[in-house]
Amino acid sequence: MNHPFEKIFSYQLSSRLEDTGVYTLTSQERAWLKTMLDHPAAAEALEPRTIAKLRECTLDDETQDFAGDLLQKAGSRETQVFHPLLAPIRRILRHRQGITIQCRTKKGKLNDPQLGIPHKLEYSMVKREWYLHWYNTATRAPMHTRLCHIVSVEEDRMARERYEEQAARAAKRLSEWRRHEATIEVIRIYNAELTRILHAFSCFDKRVEFDEEERTYRIHLTFTDSEGQFVLTKLRFLGKRVRVAEGDYLKWRMRETARKALALYGADAEKVQAEPRGEAESPTPTASVPVDRNPA
Amino acid sequence: MAKESFDKEIQFLRLLALTGGGYDRQQFAGRLGISVHTFDKTVRRLREVSGDADFADLFRYGYADSAEPVLLFLYRAKSMKESESRRLPILLTALRDNPQTAAELLDACCESLPLDAAMPDEKTIRSDLRYLEEIGVVRREPGGRPYRYVLNNELTDCLSRKELIDLYEFVDIMANTQIPSVQGYLLRDNLKKALRSAIPEDEWNDGLLEPFAYKYHYDARILDEAHLYTLLSTIRRRRRISFQYFSPKNRKSYSAKDTNPLFGRENEPRREATLPLKIVYDHQYGRWYLIGAASKGRIVKFRMEGMIEIAEEDAVPEPYFAARQEQLEEKMRYSWLIDTGETVTVRARFYRPLDGQADFIEERVRLQGQWGEIKEETPESFVYEIQVNGVTEIRPWLRGFGSSCEVLEPADLRQSFIEEWKEIGDYYEPSV
Repeated sequence: MNHPFEKIFSYQLSSRLEDTGVYTLTSQERAWLKTMLDHPAAAEALEPRTIAKLRECTLDDETQDFAGDLLQKAGSRETQVFHPLLAPIRRILRHRQGITIQCRTKKGKLNDPQLGIPHKLEYSMVKREWYLHWYNTATRAPMHTRLCHIVSVEEDRMARERYEEQAARAAKRLSEWRRHEATIEVIRIYNAELTRILHAFSCFDKRVEFDEEERTYRIHLTFTDSEGQFVLTKLRFLGKRVRVAEGDYLKWRMRETARKALALYGADAEKVQAEPRGEAESPTPTASVPVDRNPA
Repeated sequence: MAKESFDKEIQFLRLLALTGGGYDRQQFAGRLGISVHTFDKTVRRLREVSGDADFADLFRYGYADSAEPVLLFLYRAKSMKESESRRLPILLTALRDNPQTAAELLDACCESLPLDAAMPDEKTIRSDLRYLEEIGVVRREPGGRPYRYVLNNELTDCLSRKELIDLYEFVDIMANTQIPSVQGYLLRDNLKKALRSAIPEDEWNDGLLEPFAYKYHYDARILDEAHLYTLLSTIRRRRRISFQYFSPKNRKSYSAKDTNPLFGRENEPRREATLPLKIVYDHQYGRWYLIGAASKGRIVKFRMEGMIEIAEEDAVPEPYFAARQEQLEEKMRYSWLIDTGETVTVRARFYRPLDGQADFIEERVRLQGQWGEIKEETPESFVYEIQVNGVTEIRPWLRGFGSSCEVLEPADLRQSFIEEWKEIGDYYEPSV
């Protein structure tokens, strides 16, 4: 039976094998791979010849068919696990070279090709989509582009020194990416739901503090501009269980949400003029956002 | 040797991962229901396993820096006898290149082990080989006695360098985006070593090991995979189980065994019993549930993170199991997550963004709206309709859209949204 607690995985063993170059592969790892080879992403990520070899090597490993016994709920539709541009972009990243990249805007307009330095490929578990982080050498702006908006990307060969210099500048710009801090307070009567609330924030950089005297939990979050929207979605998701204690921007957005939502229901007509919609999830939270997710 | 349980470590790591290491020792120990002394002992042990001196720092979430699953080291916690941890590396190294018999391996051990170490006998070597063969790490070569064994690394040996890189990247993606993932992460660790030995030093680049980053991941999800295979196997074999259950609403998430019998009765948590039917992974929070049948076929639900000391009980007859599972499937057809309550129709109007922006609202509804359908589309808005068991589970999702979503039906859900937005608005009134 598959049991992830095996002696062979023990740290005592792996630390002794560390420098020998010896590694071991168990049936359960091969069985896992065998199951994954049946996923449509395998045919996109691997060459048919490689898949054939891997199948051959996993013939004797028994897989557990648990599809019917294991359900996944409330996930995003899995629209994309692999993207055809991953391989060529990875190759450019491995070669440490620049790119010539041409993208479409969200509305479908085709932009002119631009020069840049690729930084990293990132998958969002929420959007179920791949993004390329890159640095636009002409505008010196860090960029964040969905792979599905990239029309073409080609290697822009440059000398190693030039690459290193540009990459260092890109890394610096990307690290200057604005970080925000906010403190979220769990409303005391919902303390019993703490684990649910902590789970909701578990994908962020955070620290939890418990005030013994007030019996109050506070979650200190750190996030970037591009994560700000998702923090807001989580706050709305949790509703009245939590309150932004510190963080003016989030407070303002939550107040606006409540105001506009009430206007929508006609519930607060005296205070608010009809102003039905639209602030829920604007993809760029403030005007000062340095990151263009929709390169112009 | 008694079966090693990792319940304490799992609860411990979950709490650490969820809180980002923000509690002090006393608070931490209190929540785990253990003494500060036991707390310190556990920290020491886990620190040793993780090989990381600055333990709490592990849990400052830093997806941008690394796609390493920080909690994977839990699965490296199984302990070994000192003699075994010296012997096995010698065997594995010897088995890498050439097929070996047990007697040859014994010689290799005698040569490599320090003089003061206890020397194994051939019987011990045979039992090591049996274990390694059973878990698929070595295979027996064709031919008669004496049997020869060799390391079973065909999977990586048969690949070209390019194929190995492709495989590593594929495994990286699948382990990070699919469940279950623990075996994938373990395989990924081994493939790292395969890459190291396949790629010459002067061409090496650390970037090979971290090809991608993953955003908005629920790290703690892999902790529950510790029980996953046990539970799946009991489902397949139609066996009941019993276990200790700590409801998530309980402040303590673990309770040390009492050594003082005077307090034993009072503190003993109740053991639950159930017939496991299905396991559900909830993507909204990254949590796992076990759904089972209690006596008289009543459906019961448990959060897997609250289950410890799981023990197998008797099996039930197949027709009984099939009837329960069918009944459950019927009841869960319209569960947003796991609610098996009464089915209601929820209708909500979603407003598209203004200012000619791309319609991310509809995109998100289509992506996350499960089996609900979009009806009545206009340029400004559309109506989404879904049949769902109860409104509790879909509610947070609808609320997440803020003022881009107006609940139309049922009326009491609509009313409660109005009240909740009022309450939330009050949190942010300047006077508050």
